[in-house]
This record gives sequence, structure tokens and C-alpha cells, in this order.
Amino acid sequence: MITIIIRAVIIYLVVLLLFRIMGKRQLGQMQPFELVLTLIIADLATIPMAEVAVPVLHGIVPLFTLVILHFVLTFFTRLSTTFSSILSGKPVIVVNPKGIDYQAMKKLNITVDDILESMRGLGYFSLEQVEYAIMETNGKLSVMPKAEESAVVNKTIDAKVEPNVIPINLVSEGKLMKKNLPVAKVDENFVLDFVKQKTGKSKLKDVLVMTIDKNGQVFLQLKQGEKQIFENVRSR
Amino acid sequence: MKIFSKIMLVLMFLFLIAISVTEDLVVTNSLKQAKTDCLYIEALSEGKEDVREMDISLAVDDLEEHWKNNESGMCYLVNHKNIQEIGTEISKLKVYQMENELSEFYASLEAIKAYSESYLHFMGASLHNVF
Repeated sequence: MITIIIRAVIIYLVVLLLFRIMGKRQLGQMQPFELVLTLIIADLATIPMAEVAVPVLHGIVPLFTLVILHFVLTFFTRLSTTFSSILSGKPVIVVNPKGIDYQAMKKLNITVDDILESMRGLGYFSLEQVEYAIMETNGKLSVMPKAEESAVVNKTIDAKVEPNVIPINLVSEGKLMKKNLPVAKVDENFVLDFVKQKTGKSKLKDVLVMTIDKNGQVFLQLKQGEKQIFENVRSR
Repeated sequence: MKIFSKIMLVLMFLFLIAISVTEDLVVTNSLKQAKTDCLYIEALSEGKEDVREMDISLAVDDLEEHWKNNESGMCYLVNHKNIQEIGTEISKLKVYQMENELSEFYASLEAIKAYSESYLHFMGASLHNVF
């Protein structure tokens, strides 16, 4: 049993490392060759884990081979659009201004229900709302709505807005995010003093979350409490 | 691509080359040695009515010792079940030699040679093995 435990740990760490190297694409965003690779990796990893007679190297060697192959294929897909289209296919327009393209639908082996389901997922409940719908190579549907169905954005109505700023996390579940302090141009004392002043708590362990943005707006919430927002907090 | 990924890819590639070369050397040498030891025992025992003689006994001990030394290295590279049979046959061979069971002794010797040859054949890189 100890052998199986050690093997499981080794294989887990190797597979984890390989997925870190391969990038952060999620299942729904995978190209066909990436999905195939993931399925094979999952299967290969279990063989030496469960079978004590099989050396761990028999699992690791094909895993390494597949990851190298993956990078070689990715390299060539970047290099050549023809190769990319052979490997991953091409995006296909399934809905156009004339309606659903039945031939394209047959080619992709999908049904009208599949298209409608994907459209609903994107917030379009009627075919009348859609100008174009494109089935991407990763199997996701992209929708271009009709002009009258497009969302109104600030640019459309010439509204003057301040640029968005990303809040910086200072405290998360009682832990001080020390790396973020220089980015936010504050120090530990500022955070401690602010929390004590606004909540009466002298320790950060009571804080659920505290963020600050570049406009000086602070969002603070204790583990036992409601959110509080403070405007124009001056950082040092 | 990040520098970390590039380094890891190069390391993985080198690892694959190293492991392939090591496997080829270790497995081929181990199996060839087992076969050579068997041929030597066969030559020593040829035409003899009694295989309990000292020189045959020493040769069988050598075969066993060589195999034990090589087996540990092979376990990292080869499915243990594939090499288990050779170890079992060597143990049997030793008993048959001590008991002077001639037909079983020669049968075991042949089995070890056959296993070594067959593993040598299917462990190498060839078109037959790939497909």
C-alpha cells in the first residue's frame, strides 16, 4: 500500500507540473487535439498508479512524450494557418441573416436544439435577436446580435465616465497580502490602523476582505459583519 | 512561452533520450548476459550424466548472481511481470541442478534462453513492436 501511495503522489505531482507547463486553458476552451491529449494523460496516469508491477517510468515517459508533442503541434499551428485548420478545424457560421444554415449544422453534427441552447447561455432566447452565430473550433458558440438587439454602452450615448480601476486586495480571510502593499502604496501600519479605527478590531484575523483602489476607495468586510465602503481614503 | 516551460521542455526531451538509451543498454546487456550464462552452463553440462559437479554449480550460482544484480536495475524500466519468469526459472534451475534432475535442468535452461530471446525481441524498437 505504501508503494501505491508514493506512486500516486509522484504521478499527481508530475501531471500537475505538466498541466502547469501546458497553460491554463479550461475544458470548454480546448481545441480538439488538446482535449485528446488531456483524455490520454488522465488514462496514462492511472496505469502505474494502480499497477505495482508497472514501473512509474512507464507512465511518465508517455506523458512527457505527449506534452512535447503538444508543444510541437501548438508551435506549428501558430506557424501555419493551414496546419491549424487541419488540426483544429475552422469556425463555421451556423446562423446568418437568412436563418439557420442547415448544411453547416449537418457538417458539424449538431442539432437546432444545440444552437438554441448555446444561444440561451449567451442571453439570446430568440433567433430573431441574432444576426450571426459562429461555432468556434473549441465547440463554443459566438453570437453577433442584430444591431437593434445590441447592448447600449457608454460610448453609444457619449457618456463621460472615469476609467475603471482594479482594486488591490490588502487583506484576505485574515491574512495580510504583503506583496500587494507596495502596489497599493500603503504599509502594514496603515492597514492595521485603518481596521482598528473603522471597526475597533486590533487584529486582522477578524477581517474577511479589505481592498483599496487607486481612487482611494476602501472596501472592508469583517468575518462577522456587513460590507463597509469608505471613499477617498488617503494612502501614504 | 515562458522560460520555465522552455527549460522544462528541454529537460523532458533530454530525459526521454537518456531513459531510452539507458533502457536499451541495461535491458539488452542484462538479457544477453543471462543468455550467455545459460550457453556456458549448457556447454559445461553437455554429455554429462551428473550436473552436480562443482564447475556447473558455480556457473549456475554465477547466473543467479548476475540476474539478481541486473534485475534490480531492470525493475525501473521494465514491467516486473515480464522479467519475473526468468527469475523463477533460474530458481528452478538451481534446484534441478542440485537434485540432478537432468531433463528438468535442460528444460529450465532452454526456458531461460527462450525468455531472454523473446524479451530481447519485443523490447527493442522495431516495426513489429510499434504496430
